Amino acid sequence: MSETASGSADKSVQVKLVLLGEAAVGKSSVVLRFVSNEFQPNKEPTIGAAFLTQKCRLEDRILRYEIWDTAGQERFHSLAPMYYRNAQAAVVVYDVTKASSLEKAKSWVKELQRQANPNIVIALAGNKVDLVQPSASSPSAASHSESEDEADDATATPGETAGTAGEPESLRQVPREEAQAYATEAGLLFFETSAKTGEGIVDIFTEIAKKIPIEHILAASRGGSGRPGASGGRTDSTRQQGVNLEENATKGKDACNC
Amino acid sequence: MSIISTALRHFKEPTKEQLTEIFFSIPSLDLSVEGSSQNDEQDKMDINAVLSLGEEEDSYAGKLHIMPPYLAFSSLDKKSVRFTIPLSTIRRVERLNARAGVYALSLLTWHGMKIIVQLTSLRPTADLFCSILRDALKVELQRGQMKQVKSFAKTCYSEVLVSDCSNAADNEHEDGSLITDEKDGSIQDVSYHGGLGLKFKFPGDAKKLREASKIKLWTTYLRNHGRNLTLLRYPQCTRLVQVGLPNRLRGEMWETLSGSIYLRFSNPGYYERLLEENKGTTNTSTDDIEKDLHRSLPEYAGYQSEEGINALRRVLRAYSYKNPELGYCQAMNILTAAILIYMSEEQAFWLLEVLCGRLLPGYYAPSMHGTLLDQRVFESLVQKHLPIIHEHFQLVDVQLSVASLPWFLSLYINSMPMVFAFRIVDCFLCMGPKVLFQVGLAILKINGEQLLQIQDDGGFLNLMRDYFASLGHSAHPTSSDPRARAITVFQELLLVSFREFSVITEDLILSERRRFRGEIIHSIESFAKRGAVRNLRSLGRFNKEQVGLIYDALYKAMCIVPPPPAAAPSPSLFTTGDGHEEKPETRIGLRTFRQFLSEIASWARDEKIVMNGFQQRIDREVAEHEFIDRLFYFWDTGCHGALSFQDLVSGLDGVMFNDLMENIEWFFNLHDKNKDGFLTKDEVLTLSESFLFIFRYEIGDAYLGAVSRFMTNAFEYGDALLPQPETTFEDGSSPQIASNQPYLNLATFRMVVLADEVLESFFETDLSESFKLQPLPEMELPSAHNGILGDLWSSIATDSNKKMFNMFTDEIGKTIGKHQVVNKPSIGRYTKLEEPKARESLLTPTLRKSLSRLSLGSISAASTVATSSSSTLSVNTTLELPKTHAIVPDSASLSAMPMLQAVNAAALMERTPFAIDDARDDDDDDEDEVLDGHDDQVMDEVDAFLEAHDSGLSEADKAVANDLLHAEPLK
Repeated sequence: MSETASGSADKSVQVKLVLLGEAAVGKSSVVLRFVSNEFQPNKEPTIGAAFLTQKCRLEDRILRYEIWDTAGQERFHSLAPMYYRNAQAAVVVYDVTKASSLEKAKSWVKELQRQANPNIVIALAGNKVDLVQPSASSPSAASHSESEDEADDATATPGETAGTAGEPESLRQVPREEAQAYATEAGLLFFETSAKTGEGIVDIFTEIAKKIPIEHILAASRGGSGRPGASGGRTDSTRQQGVNLEENATKGKDACNC
Repeated sequence: MSIISTALRHFKEPTKEQLTEIFFSIPSLDLSVEGSSQNDEQDKMDINAVLSLGEEEDSYAGKLHIMPPYLAFSSLDKKSVRFTIPLSTIRRVERLNARAGVYALSLLTWHGMKIIVQLTSLRPTADLFCSILRDALKVELQRGQMKQVKSFAKTCYSEVLVSDCSNAADNEHEDGSLITDEKDGSIQDVSYHGGLGLKFKFPGDAKKLREASKIKLWTTYLRNHGRNLTLLRYPQCTRLVQVGLPNRLRGEMWETLSGSIYLRFSNPGYYERLLEENKGTTNTSTDDIEKDLHRSLPEYAGYQSEEGINALRRVLRAYSYKNPELGYCQAMNILTAAILIYMSEEQAFWLLEVLCGRLLPGYYAPSMHGTLLDQRVFESLVQKHLPIIHEHFQLVDVQLSVASLPWFLSLYINSMPMVFAFRIVDCFLCMGPKVLFQVGLAILKINGEQLLQIQDDGGFLNLMRDYFASLGHSAHPTSSDPRARAITVFQELLLVSFREFSVITEDLILSERRRFRGEIIHSIESFAKRGAVRNLRSLGRFNKEQVGLIYDALYKAMCIVPPPPAAAPSPSLFTTGDGHEEKPETRIGLRTFRQFLSEIASWARDEKIVMNGFQQRIDREVAEHEFIDRLFYFWDTGCHGALSFQDLVSGLDGVMFNDLMENIEWFFNLHDKNKDGFLTKDEVLTLSESFLFIFRYEIGDAYLGAVSRFMTNAFEYGDALLPQPETTFEDGSSPQIASNQPYLNLATFRMVVLADEVLESFFETDLSESFKLQPLPEMELPSAHNGILGDLWSSIATDSNKKMFNMFTDEIGKTIGKHQVVNKPSIGRYTKLEEPKARESLLTPTLRKSLSRLSLGSISAASTVATSSSSTLSVNTTLELPKTHAIVPDSASLSAMPMLQAVNAAALMERTPFAIDDARDDDDDDEDEVLDGHDDQVMDEVDAFLEAHDSGLSEADKAVANDLLHAEPLK
């Protein structure tokens, strides 16, 4: 994984973020999109949780996300508390083409709200939205999903794209409004995303960064002095701060990349 | 939407005998698939013996075990020398003619290896042992196993190595490729099993790994010490394993060392059959497997081809078919992919079986309890052996498991470069699970200084990642000594693992697991409970605590009466939640439901108050009645034939908060089978029976009278309201309408009920209150803190103790004429009143409530309702007991009671003796391992291994043993 050394992190704020969600909703893809541009068709297998880091610049602050990408299989559920304890942020991912995944997401949210850090910032992300967009690229909807499958490595659901090229909207099982309403009610940030196209990915992390009580973390953190032994990393996080989210979304790949 | 599993409760500590079997890698009986003859106890025996083998090996004192169909030996220190060989590989057994008083046997294996064992126990014991051995050998001969041996041996590469006609060992180039068998190839085609590595190359640089020298050393060893089924493990064997197995032999040695070879030997064709029988079967496990196939060691060439992927798929599937309860767990893919490089599918399948079952117990189970347990054990070992690191981790709040969990779960394969991980696997399969802990501790120790600098989980992980990446580097890059420079970081790691952490023994691991098992089970269970409660769609009008109590009752019922495995998707299969499919959910059947209800509804249990002059106790049994069955189906709104936790909560919600009218309607609906708003005559009768059932233990005839009046009235009104009123009043038998036709509607039913004050009050409060959620006494964990006998065992013991005590006092009570049994009323409102004429509106509502609760709640000391004060208790007794039945104990027995209750309580706590036994058991082996720790040179040169091992023999003994090598068989 692209390892981001903390570097001269005098100003950087560490944010522990955990990704949760049903198997095959594309958690890993979301992280991959956010953290690295490298395309890895067969990602290293995840046991328990994969650990990745990424730096972001928010106004004059540098945020260092420590991302825990948890295993999706149900029996690893009991290990999840190990990863979300002390987390300041969580991204709960579901698949817009799979209603049951939203249910699972809701149950994760419930669990987080009861068991995790009380100030945790939770974002709900409806992934794979590229599959349901009658966008300009719709003629290649099938190939879309294929590449999504790949990016998503093993956690993509095979077969779900069958015979869908014509009317992608019919694939959608979770209406945006419904998820939005739920998110509002539960006090979550909400995005529809596509790890494949990059849509919405950066926005998640930007909005989380804005919402996180950074001062609080700074006060509580152990002086924010970087990790000893870490060599200077590239700190050219030249992402514009999310004034123009649309633009960010399109530039997703380049943004926030160390 | 939850899976509730009581599986952890059924955990049993292995018996001593099982531990011996585990030690010798003998497949447990129930696992043997072809139903080999159930061995009687008398077939098994162990005896003191001295083992000798040829000139070049020392003789070792130890214990010889016969456990048909295996013969096993272990030296006294339990590690220097050992073997497990199937009896079917023994061709001849001879009694040796030796010095007087020496009783020795010579065992000849099928390939001509001669093992000499001197039986040093008393003569009769030795004779008995011999006769058992003789019988067991005969059985094997009759089973035809002897014939299997040779053809089986052909599947083993070791046979190719040692066979005279082939010089396979010489053929091996230093670079690991074979000089192609032009000459051998024609003579014997490749019949031995091997892995993907044969085709796709083995990981690592063969030259660097010194494959050729290793193969040579092994060939010599295997020639002299047996191989595959007959391998004798002398100290050199372990040494050779520690320097890394040669690639071509690795697969076979893995199955030999782990004992999975015995499974393959005794179950020929099983793997293929299993796949054939389940062809095309798909389930959640196979779906999950499919997702992970392409991310299992993807960097290895074999898994970039269909061939490798297909093999991986077949093995994983076969295992999930064999063990559907476990199915498939992420990480198994990595393990399987790894072993398939060195093993054939069949070999890999059986090794997987041994890994998941014996070597990594519970690691991959749906609850992953084994993983959690061993993480806990590891943490405690770190605390003990590396206290400074542990303290630092506590200080900066870093959790060890974030790094160590994958180490254990994937045997380091996922963490280290493969070549190194496989060497750890070599040691793990040879020396057992302790290796995982030793290596883990060594990693932390070596990185100690840097670990003290880390501030959080992320830093910890990064440090570990860097360390694993450096394993191939020199450990002392700046040293002037070239030999020191040549030592790699990995070699240093093994050195530290086995030298500095030799105190971590198998027994220590076992006892640590025992120590923490209770804690882990408890935390898994409370996690599951929280999840189950959280995931309910609706709590109804209950609050969380109340729902928790319902869960507890359900859980207890499931422990006592485990629900049968559900038909189609087994409840133990976890969900991946595909599309709209309903998520798997634990559902209970009727029998479990009865148990559940008996915890909650007073009329769903038969409670007998037993008084025998010594004690007063309540014997509780689960009631069975159509009414309960009816309730079961009434609550089964989804028509699953089984109830989920949600069904139970909703069902109870539907009755526990009802007022008079709602209760009447509820009761009516319960009996209106076709839900047409009418009861048929048959249903009216059934309903009356339900009344009678609920009131069955009420004292006096108030309730009986009420029910009989109800029937009269029901039929009277019912007839009167029929379309063509029939004025024949006699006994309600109205010929005009068939017994299965709609007859009585709710309004009429209500009228009939309200006409009777007993029934009215029943529906007003008593029905709802007959359901009561009470905290259950904490259930015993199966294996809390004490060892081998475990708490499950001891709790059974106490239960039966208690029963015996009860029976005993009952008997005495009978003889002195004080024994009395009375059924405890379920409702108990009118027990006092002969005629319910004076309506007890006289009593204030609150008092009424507490009265009925008292009668429901038990008199038993165990679960008295907290609210009932002792003063009301006396009221209660006068109400219930004295007048109707003369069961008030006389003063003498009353005074005796408290004391006896104390005795009873003492019986409950009788668990301590076992704990003491165990404590002793655990201490035994600490001294043995002090001997270890001479492994320094392991890394240096392959040849320089042999070191003094304590053979446990005096010089004189050795002389005797040596003599035996040349002894002649007795005539």
